[in-house]
Amino acid sequence: MRLYEFEGIELLRREGIAVLDYALANTPEEAREKAQDIGLPVVLKAQVLTGGRSLAGGVEAAESLDEVQKAASRILASTIKGLPVHRILVAPRVKRAREFYLGITVDDYYGSPLAVLSTEGGVSIEGVARVHPEMVISRHVPAIKGILPDAQQMAGEAGLHGEELVQVATILRSLYSIFGKYDALVAEINPLVRTSEGNYVALDAKIEIDDSSLYRHTDLNLDMENRISNPLEKKGREIGVSYLELDGDIAIIASGAGLGMASMDIVSRSMRPANFLETGGAITEDLLYKVMDLVLQKEGVRGLFINVYGGINPIHEGARGIVRYMRDHDVTIPIVAKALGNHQEETWEIFRQHGVQVVTDVSTEKGVEQLARLMEKQE
Amino acid sequence: MSILLNRETRVLVQGITGRSGRTQTQWMLDYGTNIVAGVTPGKGGEVVQGIPVYDTVAEAVERQGAEASVFFVPPPAVKEAAFQTIDAGIGLIVMVTEHTPVHDVMEIKEYANDKEIQIIGPTSPGVITPGEAKMGIMPGNMFTPGRIGVISRSGTLSYEISINLATGGFGQSTVVGIGADPVVFTNMPELLRLFQRDLETDLIVIVGEVGGVQEEKAAEFIDRWITKPVVAYITGFNSPEEKRMGHAGAIIRGDGKGTPQSKTAALNEVGVDVARYPAQVVDLVLKHLTPD
Repeated sequence: MRLYEFEGIELLRREGIAVLDYALANTPEEAREKAQDIGLPVVLKAQVLTGGRSLAGGVEAAESLDEVQKAASRILASTIKGLPVHRILVAPRVKRAREFYLGITVDDYYGSPLAVLSTEGGVSIEGVARVHPEMVISRHVPAIKGILPDAQQMAGEAGLHGEELVQVATILRSLYSIFGKYDALVAEINPLVRTSEGNYVALDAKIEIDDSSLYRHTDLNLDMENRISNPLEKKGREIGVSYLELDGDIAIIASGAGLGMASMDIVSRSMRPANFLETGGAITEDLLYKVMDLVLQKEGVRGLFINVYGGINPIHEGARGIVRYMRDHDVTIPIVAKALGNHQEETWEIFRQHGVQVVTDVSTEKGVEQLARLMEKQE
Repeated sequence: MSILLNRETRVLVQGITGRSGRTQTQWMLDYGTNIVAGVTPGKGGEVVQGIPVYDTVAEAVERQGAEASVFFVPPPAVKEAAFQTIDAGIGLIVMVTEHTPVHDVMEIKEYANDKEIQIIGPTSPGVITPGEAKMGIMPGNMFTPGRIGVISRSGTLSYEISINLATGGFGQSTVVGIGADPVVFTNMPELLRLFQRDLETDLIVIVGEVGGVQEEKAAEFIDRWITKPVVAYITGFNSPEEKRMGHAGAIIRGDGKGTPQSKTAALNEVGVDVARYPAQVVDLVLKHLTPD
């Protein structure tokens, strides 16, 4: 789960990294007031859960209070990568003597944290790495051992000396402890600046926390549901399934992510998927009842393709939930179900008794073709 | 012999007293798996589906000679259980557990680094050597003994591909679900290496999906080291950018990497045909082998 910039900044502050005194504003007027308190000039930054804000017009500097109000109106009226902006961060503009990039990420393939340090801060680090790879110092950090042996060495390799080396290495170490303490997948400061007064201040924070670890970070009070703007996706989260709304009219229920993606790919050949949905491994009768309610809530859904495997999932129980929902809500759209694995015969029987067409062929392609034929008949 | 697992392998089930542990132990036994012990700390002395339960892995190894372990351990307990299992000298762990924190996975990986152990997963459907044994949750009736090795990131697609292969006349030597998380203990190239060495495997099928670089790394490895024919299937062509497609590891980051297109291109470049839909895998296999 990605944190808002201001939430990330608070984690930096807790760890002793210097940050700017900022304020949050929800309206242009409020931004004006906050800017007056903070003192001009200021920088206004959209608080949205995506990267590339500057390019999308989500970051503006302002010299006067009128400019603040105008810029704030523009930002609050904009959408960034499809996300509406509800809140902006107002921060004093600082004179920068030097900018650095500090980041810790997970190198998925290598299976280890990766620390990255560069004296080319304030810009896209991927861009720097492409053009000037020698300016980007990176190192795999042993997860158990930590970054202690490496931080100062990395700063040295980046060409830093004396006081600057010590300061930057210390902040890198602090960032690494945030990364570890909060189970981050990404912990990034871009830029860290040395101000003209010689202070080291983090101007930005990008932190993403591993969803699987949230159970041990309840103290952060991060409510996942409120970060999801799509109401159906939010509901999916609440009932414990992965749901993504798409723009078609054929609903999909799959019992695994791979199978769900494959079903989407195949449905897309002749029809248009209304959603991606995967149940995960905790199917119960009740869960699939709720899943039916979720996928059929989307307006304009005209058909449903069910694709489930009995591995960890008791699919016969799931089938009972599906047909119970159909009975309770008088569902009449064409439905085709492919169900294989443990308890497959029992599952077929339950579906058939309630008028759901069962695919006995082992290929998802055949199942989707069967649904397409049914849909044609309907028209 | 197949890779990783056969009918003689002495299997331990960790988390055997939980709901999934109990049910799946019965399915594994029904399939013929040689399960010799279970472990749940605090439940030592119990018996589940006729299998003796111990408090610690060391005890299960000492009393029953367990040599491979399948995990149905809840996520918060995985790290400790894994450290213990590694120390007890177990040679193979198959981690079925979903939602293990990535930081725990990285620590376990480092801990296991210089030890003689192979860890599959986490979020793995398991490992199955059809007709012999299975460790995990794979439904046995989807698999058929034969000479194709399957490496899959997705659980359900490993079933789909295997049953389609069987319908086309091709059984499987071993099927491995490497796990759907961003960080997995055993990457695709390591399994390619094992299948290349395996005398009972004639062809390898890779089942990939959006996100990460497993398939790209597999392509590099195939180019250098694999002489057996390889075919692939990649899913997720209709996945929107920056959206997590169910699996923690299935996300396109918006930098053009990890897309089904880049994976397909990387594999094609080293001569691996990539099916666009699951059942097409059979047609691609037919170019190299005749049905069993």
